[in-house]
Amino acid sequence: MRAFQPGVSEAARRAVTGDGAAPEALAALWQTLERALPDVRVSDSGAPAADGIAGRTGYAVSELVHPTLIRLCASFLDQGVAYWRMPGKEQGLLRAVRDLYTRPMGPPEPWLRRLPARLAAQAARTPAAEATVVALLEELEIPEDDWQPFITATLLSLRGWAGMMHQLELRPDRAPVASPPTRLMDYLAVQLSLEAEALAYLRRRGPPAPAPREDPREAQERLLYAGFVLAQHAGISAAALARGDRAARWLDALAGFDELERRRLLHLAFERRHRVEVLDGLRNHARAGRPEAPPARIRAVFCMDDREESTRRHLEEVLPEVETFGYAGFFGVPMAYEGLDDVRPTPRCPVVIDPRHLVVEEPLDGPHEHGSAVGRLRHGVAISGQTMVRGSVVSGALGLATVVPLIGRVLFPRTSERISHAVMHGVGVPATRLALERPEGAPAAADGYLHGFTVEEMSGIVQVVLQTSGLTEARGLVVFVGHGSHSLNNPHEGAYQCGAAGGGPGGPNARAFATMANHPGVRGRLAQGWLTFPEPTWFVGASHDTGDDSMIYYDEDLIPEAVQADLRIFKAAMEEARRRDAHERCRRFMLAPLDLDPEGALAHAEARTADLAQPRPELGHATNAVCIIGRRSRTRGLFLDRRAFLVSYDPTRDPDRSRLAALLETVGPVGAGINLEYYFSFVDSTGYGCGTKLPHNIVGLLGVMDGHASDLRTGLPWQMVEIHEPVRLLTIVEAEPDELTAIVSARPGLARLVVNGWIQVVAWSPSTDELHVFDGGAFRPHRPETDQLPVVKASMDVYRGHREHLPPTRVTDGLAPGGGAW
Amino acid sequence: MLILAVLLWFFDDVPEAVIWAVVATAFGGATLAGLATAGGMVVHDVDEVRVPLGTWFSVGHYEFEVALVLDRLSVPFAVFGTGLVGLVGAFSQRYLHREARFARFFLLLSVLGAGVVLVVLAGSLDLIFMGWELVGLSSALLVAFFDHRPAPVRHGLRAFITYRLCDAGLLSAVVWLHHTAGTSAFVDVSGQWASIDVTHVPVVTAGLFILLATLGKSAQVPLGGWLPRAMEGPTTSSAIFYGALSIHLGPYLLLRSATLLEASPWVAGAVFTIGLLTALHGTVVGRVQSDIKSALAYASMTQVGVIFMEIALGLRFLALVHVVGHASYRSLQILRSPSLLHDQHNMERAVGSALPHPGGHLERLVPRALQPWLYRLALERGYLDAVLVHFVVAPFARLARLLDRLERAWLSAFAGPPEGPRAQAVETSQDIEASS
Repeated sequence: MRAFQPGVSEAARRAVTGDGAAPEALAALWQTLERALPDVRVSDSGAPAADGIAGRTGYAVSELVHPTLIRLCASFLDQGVAYWRMPGKEQGLLRAVRDLYTRPMGPPEPWLRRLPARLAAQAARTPAAEATVVALLEELEIPEDDWQPFITATLLSLRGWAGMMHQLELRPDRAPVASPPTRLMDYLAVQLSLEAEALAYLRRRGPPAPAPREDPREAQERLLYAGFVLAQHAGISAAALARGDRAARWLDALAGFDELERRRLLHLAFERRHRVEVLDGLRNHARAGRPEAPPARIRAVFCMDDREESTRRHLEEVLPEVETFGYAGFFGVPMAYEGLDDVRPTPRCPVVIDPRHLVVEEPLDGPHEHGSAVGRLRHGVAISGQTMVRGSVVSGALGLATVVPLIGRVLFPRTSERISHAVMHGVGVPATRLALERPEGAPAAADGYLHGFTVEEMSGIVQVVLQTSGLTEARGLVVFVGHGSHSLNNPHEGAYQCGAAGGGPGGPNARAFATMANHPGVRGRLAQGWLTFPEPTWFVGASHDTGDDSMIYYDEDLIPEAVQADLRIFKAAMEEARRRDAHERCRRFMLAPLDLDPEGALAHAEARTADLAQPRPELGHATNAVCIIGRRSRTRGLFLDRRAFLVSYDPTRDPDRSRLAALLETVGPVGAGINLEYYFSFVDSTGYGCGTKLPHNIVGLLGVMDGHASDLRTGLPWQMVEIHEPVRLLTIVEAEPDELTAIVSARPGLARLVVNGWIQVVAWSPSTDELHVFDGGAFRPHRPETDQLPVVKASMDVYRGHREHLPPTRVTDGLAPGGGAW
Repeated sequence: MLILAVLLWFFDDVPEAVIWAVVATAFGGATLAGLATAGGMVVHDVDEVRVPLGTWFSVGHYEFEVALVLDRLSVPFAVFGTGLVGLVGAFSQRYLHREARFARFFLLLSVLGAGVVLVVLAGSLDLIFMGWELVGLSSALLVAFFDHRPAPVRHGLRAFITYRLCDAGLLSAVVWLHHTAGTSAFVDVSGQWASIDVTHVPVVTAGLFILLATLGKSAQVPLGGWLPRAMEGPTTSSAIFYGALSIHLGPYLLLRSATLLEASPWVAGAVFTIGLLTALHGTVVGRVQSDIKSALAYASMTQVGVIFMEIALGLRFLALVHVVGHASYRSLQILRSPSLLHDQHNMERAVGSALPHPGGHLERLVPRALQPWLYRLALERGYLDAVLVHFVVAPFARLARLLDRLERAWLSAFAGPPEGPRAQAVETSQDIEASS
């Protein structure tokens, strides 16, 4: 109290002390503030206003209820972990629980002793779940006005399980195997019944433990101290504060600047730094101009995914004659897909679309036998491991043999995976085709799906994709590259797949699109709409694995001779590009040395996906931050550090901006969804993310719990988001501000995203370098802070030796034409 | 372990690579040394080697002799144990990469390794007790590894209390053996491997003490409730403790004390009964578990029950093979338990249809009317935990609290109201109850 805080500047010290000595001046400052100290309101230890039973009564009912409720939910929703299924689950949760728990000789826990009587009474008086819930609310004496917040808080106490109940009620088709008849109301009735029992039991035992309350004097002292320290740093003397009510206002302002407000400001500053860096980079890259380029020889369409930004950039650096495009990775094909060995179709389109079309992969020569005797034997052995008698045989007799895979998997993951793959999948994959075409007017099949697309539907899909992305000039070879990812020992494998393909690999979508665009009937129809392709034009589907950077090309046997040479060129370039891509990715993996060469980097990436011990097989969208909707020609040659979704859109071919509107309605939610998932999983790993992967325990094939039993953990694990920079998606759209305003205000879904600030929106003028940032309800011009843009020859020159996020940089090899090692 | 402990004591921030190098050297070296010893013993056709390391301390006519025994039982166990610690260490080095408690994990893993080696090579029950404690301590601390959440801490405490209770059995056995026979050293009597000399020992008491000691570590009925709850630590520690090493120490101790079982059909009968009950309990309860780690925990429990039965029947080599086989099989299963979704998908493709649901033969065996009842019994863990907690632990805790109140009343009558520590005592007893 008698000396200045460390770090207070000399000028500030002089201002505070004036002519006097420091100890006296500081004491005066303290006393001045102390006299002005207001009463401080103490919050109830952060408890939300609305609460469930625990919050209203002070009894910790959850400690009793949750273990039982979690067990019931897990058993009811189980998709095939348990050997023995819950009896009666086909009647719904509530009836199954009533049936199980009204039987005699129930669980001996004291708090559950009266449950059978309660459930029996319910079944007799209020059999329906709704009536049961109402009766329970009345019993718990919740006023009717409070029902909604009370129910919300009750459901949120196990938000993962309640959410899963809700999701499976809405979309039973998305269950991994088969959803039992799930109703959120059933769940609520069960939860409230258990809570009512627990409450009654705890009340019988005594009064609740008093909630800890903060002493208001402590809060006052904290405020006083903060005001004291801050005044020193700001160089404000006791005399200055003593005038009028200044001291009180000083403390008031400080009290108003609470933790939330402080974090909000820091966050806005954090976002601003990133925004200015990116927008300046774009502007200065455009101002530096680009060389005149001849028409491209080969075109390649990738997913808009931020992970493909680097793949595209490296491909362009290796092969200047290529032109790349970005489109949502389901390539406009809204299908459910059933691969050759799949046992059920899975949706391969954005989650908001409920696919009506089914596409099946069929073997080319003769019928394909599903499954094998070996497979059934393996299944038998796998089940036996958890039983008593058979388990003894398996673990006693075969157990020793598992030492070999144990050592192999741990010490030599890449080799073991190769051997295991060869053993499991045998000699090779049979040649297949997609069953894509449906005769005009054919009705839906017994499974409820339309099998394939009619020529008219295919033409519509092809036309929309080509025109929106600006691919109407297609000629020669056009490659559509979908993407997926595979990894081992990773419950979150699905989160690495293509989001636009509904969380599955997007390769089949690329293949389907290419097949459609090659269809003579489709070409004929498109020609009527003035969309003609000069011969030879051929579309090839392919798939990129973002985990080990491997490539698969589909239906190569159909490719006409005339484009074969181009395909060979493309493949060779892609071979080099994927090596460099792996190399760029490896800089982010702390276990990969920074001096790896591209070949070593590819091996490292491959080993990661084959390693049981690897919780970070890849980093997914961890670096996503930007979404650019516009022509690639304006961003080509700019290093964006795998941080940008790149969506191709050509404003010069969309005079009325109708295609832009449609594009924003699909891209906006997809991009924002991915970005916000990472954002919230990072800023609140416990609440919205699912914490660290290390203790995760798969339950019911539905999700993970922390350890033995917990709420179902949704969101992303810390290992996936730890290098994420939580900024709201910086969405840069090639359009004038007024055009964007018109589009957004006419569409409520978009307006919610933009006006409520879930994403940042920037209008990038198609004709000038002007950038306008949407801020506080209107577009305001972006003021550049620098005219400088670093320039290097190849991407590797930017990132080599760095692990951190890097600013936009101009890469001359990527500017077509010229340059490149090709 | 010592090097690691010293390092961590003096430096806050030891790089992962250094920690791993120390652990890998220690356990890689130990495995190789074990293999060399085994090779040497086979070549020279030696059945047993005794390594006296001197006397630690002596009190009156009690001497704590530190001696190791290398024989057909301990050497395979030692090689397997150290090798497995090394493998799991190699796995964890990548699995726990960038985890803030990386060093703590490896320290505890080393404590486990040291404990197992000590138990396995010990030449007397006294020395086993030391290793036994190290294993128990590291196990409980690894269950509570993620100590920012309440559940792991609670479940770690539960495991710890179960261990302590059963350690009393081991300690009693040591004291009893010293009291009656004057020593707890293992001698070469049975012809297969060193064991306790039973000539002067009332075997039933000693045998039951040892059986009590194994109940906790090997999660046998009725004390096995902690095992599924112990799946709170990183997957790798769950694998090595509850799939492989810690859980099989019970069978090891029984194998080491084989002479007791031989000498008394009562003890053998008790071991058999416990094993049978555990196997039945584990297999029925395990079948309704819908999360993979609980399912595997109960599967482990079942197999260890079967191993107990084998030991009771005198099938010692079978038991030995079963232990090693089961340990490698189960630890690999737990290590790859996060692959469940992936494996399920592959299995469906291999089988060629949605997987047939397996509960069929149970549904045929159990009368229809009884099925829901049995299902609920299994879902509620056979009521074992509830009975233990509410009818054994809770009254005990109430008694302790009553005594605590009386003592405080008594004290305050003399010295005025006490401070601090009493609040702690109350909290602890409540924790014990809450850890149900």
